[in-house]
Amino acid sequence: FTPLRGGLSGGLSQPAGWQSLLSFTILFLAWLAGFSARLFAVIRFESIIHEFDPWFNYRATHHLTTNGFYEFLNWFDERAWYPLGRIVGGTVYPGLMVTAGLIHYVLNLLHVTVHIRDVCVFLAPVFSGLTSISTFLLTKELWNQGAGLMAACFIAIVPGYISRSVAGSFDNEGIAIFALQFTYYLWVKSVKTGSVFWSIGCCLSYFYMVSAWGGYVFIINLIPLHVFVLLLMQRFSKRVYIAYSTFYIIGLVLSMQIPFVGFQPIRTSEHMAAAGVFVLLQVYAFLQYLKDRLTKQEFQTLFFLGVSLAAGAVFLSVIYLTYTGRSSYAKIHIPIIASVSEHQPTTWVSFFFDLHILVCTFPAGLWFCIKNINDERVFVALYAISAVYFAGVMVRLMLTLTPVVCMLSAVAFSSVFEHYLGDDMKRQSPPLEDSSDEDDRKNAVTMLMLMLLMMFAVHCTWVTSNAYSSPSVVLASYNNDGSRNILDDFREAYYWLRQNTDEHARVMSWWDYGYQIAGMANRTTLVDNNTWNNSHIALVGKAMSSNETAAYDIMRSLDVDYVLIIFGGVIGYSGDDINKFLWMVRISPSVASQPQESDYFTPQGEFRVDKAGSPTLLNCLMYKMSYYRFGEMQLDFRTPPGFDRTRNAEIGNKDIKLKHLEEAFTSEHWLVRIYKVKKPENRDRVEHKLRGADTTKQKYTSKKVSGGAEASSEGVFIQERTQLDGT
Amino acid sequence: MNTTSIPFPARSLPARGTAGKCPICRWESGLRLQLLRSPDHCGQLQKVTQMMEWTSKRSVIRMNGDKFRRFVKAPPRNYSVVIMFTALQPQRQCGVCKQADEEFQVLANSWRYSSAFTNKVFFATVDFDEGSDVFQMLSMNSAPTFLHFPAKGKPRKTDTYELQVRGFAAEQLARWVADRTDVQIRIIRPPNYAGPLLLGFLLAVIGGLAYLRRHNLEFLFNKNVWAFSALCFVLIMTSGQMWNHIRGPPYAHKNPSTGQVSYIHGSSQAQFVAETHIVLLFNAAVTMGMVLLCEAATSDLDIGKRKIMCVAGIGLVMLFFSWLLSVFRAKYHGYPYSFLMS
Repeated sequence: FTPLRGGLSGGLSQPAGWQSLLSFTILFLAWLAGFSARLFAVIRFESIIHEFDPWFNYRATHHLTTNGFYEFLNWFDERAWYPLGRIVGGTVYPGLMVTAGLIHYVLNLLHVTVHIRDVCVFLAPVFSGLTSISTFLLTKELWNQGAGLMAACFIAIVPGYISRSVAGSFDNEGIAIFALQFTYYLWVKSVKTGSVFWSIGCCLSYFYMVSAWGGYVFIINLIPLHVFVLLLMQRFSKRVYIAYSTFYIIGLVLSMQIPFVGFQPIRTSEHMAAAGVFVLLQVYAFLQYLKDRLTKQEFQTLFFLGVSLAAGAVFLSVIYLTYTGRSSYAKIHIPIIASVSEHQPTTWVSFFFDLHILVCTFPAGLWFCIKNINDERVFVALYAISAVYFAGVMVRLMLTLTPVVCMLSAVAFSSVFEHYLGDDMKRQSPPLEDSSDEDDRKNAVTMLMLMLLMMFAVHCTWVTSNAYSSPSVVLASYNNDGSRNILDDFREAYYWLRQNTDEHARVMSWWDYGYQIAGMANRTTLVDNNTWNNSHIALVGKAMSSNETAAYDIMRSLDVDYVLIIFGGVIGYSGDDINKFLWMVRISPSVASQPQESDYFTPQGEFRVDKAGSPTLLNCLMYKMSYYRFGEMQLDFRTPPGFDRTRNAEIGNKDIKLKHLEEAFTSEHWLVRIYKVKKPENRDRVEHKLRGADTTKQKYTSKKVSGGAEASSEGVFIQERTQLDGT
Repeated sequence: MNTTSIPFPARSLPARGTAGKCPICRWESGLRLQLLRSPDHCGQLQKVTQMMEWTSKRSVIRMNGDKFRRFVKAPPRNYSVVIMFTALQPQRQCGVCKQADEEFQVLANSWRYSSAFTNKVFFATVDFDEGSDVFQMLSMNSAPTFLHFPAKGKPRKTDTYELQVRGFAAEQLARWVADRTDVQIRIIRPPNYAGPLLLGFLLAVIGGLAYLRRHNLEFLFNKNVWAFSALCFVLIMTSGQMWNHIRGPPYAHKNPSTGQVSYIHGSSQAQFVAETHIVLLFNAAVTMGMVLLCEAATSDLDIGKRKIMCVAGIGLVMLFFSWLLSVFRAKYHGYPYSFLMS
């Protein structure tokens, strides 16, 4: 499919009816194209929730629909973070769950009986259509309708946005980008009109954004920045005053209604810029009022200078504070933050991969906007500059850059098309002899531009299909003849847990799989992707990286019944626990400092699982569980038994005996392995040979026990044993 | 040997000639006999005095292999030493070491100039290029590393600072030192004047310019200037300069065996500085092409110039975009599309 892309110029000669029909059609097609582009995963696999965080969102939504809204707000989830639990209602942005729950409720009211899972799976693609409509509206306010339609088409299919909104990716960002764009649209509208109506609308949209995503902080800083720059440019007007005063007051009150946000808007530094600009605006308006009353011109200018200087100092210091705060945050460099790949700076390849032609053309749009500046174009310029900075710092913030890139690129392309895509009126004004020559040139330019856009569409489709459409819960591999194997080990294992273990069994795994175990297996987990308690995670990391006896003590103290690990050595899956193992070691010493990272490396500083690997690694619990009985398995005639395909090495410890654990389940391709933690035996096993009925020894022990206050627990224990032996 | 609490006046050190003698034996006659029972006593005091003298000069003592063996490794010692093992020489290219060094200096200065300063703890540093034998002796292979050498006994596991976990902020280090030695250090950071000064200077320059040209402030309203600077910022960001700033990659890679210089990194996960400059240029060229195309259609120049502008514009867009695409393709393996050049 190729989305329809209209280089719709002013359309002056056309009747208004045609024009609106055309824009409606284009928007509808953009929605359709955006929706269908996001369905690769559903078509290839099935309607399934993807990855990790969406599983939690799904579980919370499920809880909301079955127990009602208030029960959801008060939900204490005792199945996570055993034995601590998690207060879910106060630690989530509820917008996503409420939206999905509401849609489900309305559909059921209309007797359209859909499962809540389907609502969750298709929520993000549906909202992408809404995003493209709000982008259309915003761009229309900024430039013209043609650019708006183009921006709508761009954002419908651009990979930077698809990456977070494919079907099944039931995450906050999916709806938040819509809320972001719509809030900006309403803000621009309220600055343009100066009416309280639009301003209130902006506040309501902002409220929705706050309820949906932590990225609302971007809005509450960008809008004050816009107002501040307008003041500096001496573009102050009643419209700006009304719009911002209304927005700040009502937006503040509304945003504090979200339990997770609470009093943050009046406490934390990232909200202070908004308050400062609010005060500044009041002072400025007051001075304007005075200026109308007084006539002393010099006095006024002096006032203006003083105020702008003070304001500048305040604003700069705020920026300075937040900037230094940010850099020190990066400096502390906590491993658990560093281990998440989303928190990395962005290479130019990521920019190009996610935006393709748009990344080269949007500066041109910015150029046009600044050259023909007005109140709302100031806004889009600031939006572009701040978003591009944040996207450079962190890969995941590419998401906030994408909409503005689409808008500005649309401005650039539509200006070109406006001049080259044959406006009949213009041709008559220069009645020159070489008009046919000019015609040819115009046609050539138009063709080449269309070709670029076609390449963009093809690129988007390819990227979506190849990079962003894997559910990562179900894996697929392709044979040489193109036929496909589905590896459904994850669900197989989680379903096994659901069916064969006690309802209250506690499953220990690395935190990546916490949400999935809770969502699919419905069992209690120790740690999950929420990562709010580092020491708890560290304890699990320590258990995984210790030897079996030490790990058994930790697991007993945490009441662990089962241990679940991911092992990719059979099929060559690289995201398995052995490859994540070093992070477990790195995170683990923050509670107790026994395992050192260097102990897991060879003296040459390599991380190896074969015979040359360090003995600490070869005897730790994670290694033992991953490779238990793997040494007996020959995958291939060309390789020796126990050959790990992920790390391309023959494992170093083939004869693994487990003492405190037993294998409970291993999935078809060995991807998931589950071990049961044995209960301690009634009677402690005697390692050495049994003692005979040696009377002197008996006397000795009983004497020690009769020592009264000095009797150690060991002594008591020995006494018990001897009694047992005696009987 | 619990005599270490005898306070040395921090700012009046017996630096002149008394280093050979034992100051306490002279001053504290009552303690003399008792102290002299320990054979280590005088050597120990000599060492303490020496350490105090160094500390009075620089709050972080620089050590080489000999000093390390004599003052840290050799047993008669009644003070703890916190040592940062580092590699500060520019050819080692250790960016983290510099940052860690700054924090360590802050910590040591806070201790050196605090009112609670005693001779219980000393701060020292060993640079790899000055004391590589120490690194070998302790079988260390990474820098920076913080180690604590307690007054008594051998260093234990907890005497190695967990840099990966706790970071190297001076506050964290102080907490660790307090944990290991019972010495509480309140971190006092010297206020960093560089940033505000630079900002003030910049503002002064701008203000001065504005004052000099106060009759003609048009340049502030020149849209071209603003648009140009905005474009520069955007292009810098989209070409991944922030990544370079944080990760500090080399400018280009020279293959040591063949001597060939490659400007483009082979993987999509990383980049060279040269490569980002190339990308910046390409992006700028495409942008300029787009602007030229529009200018060609709207400006009121004569038709010939407009023709040239139009052709140049579309040429720039096509050429540099396809070039960019081919660079991208070289890095992103398995990408199927190309345009004009492969």
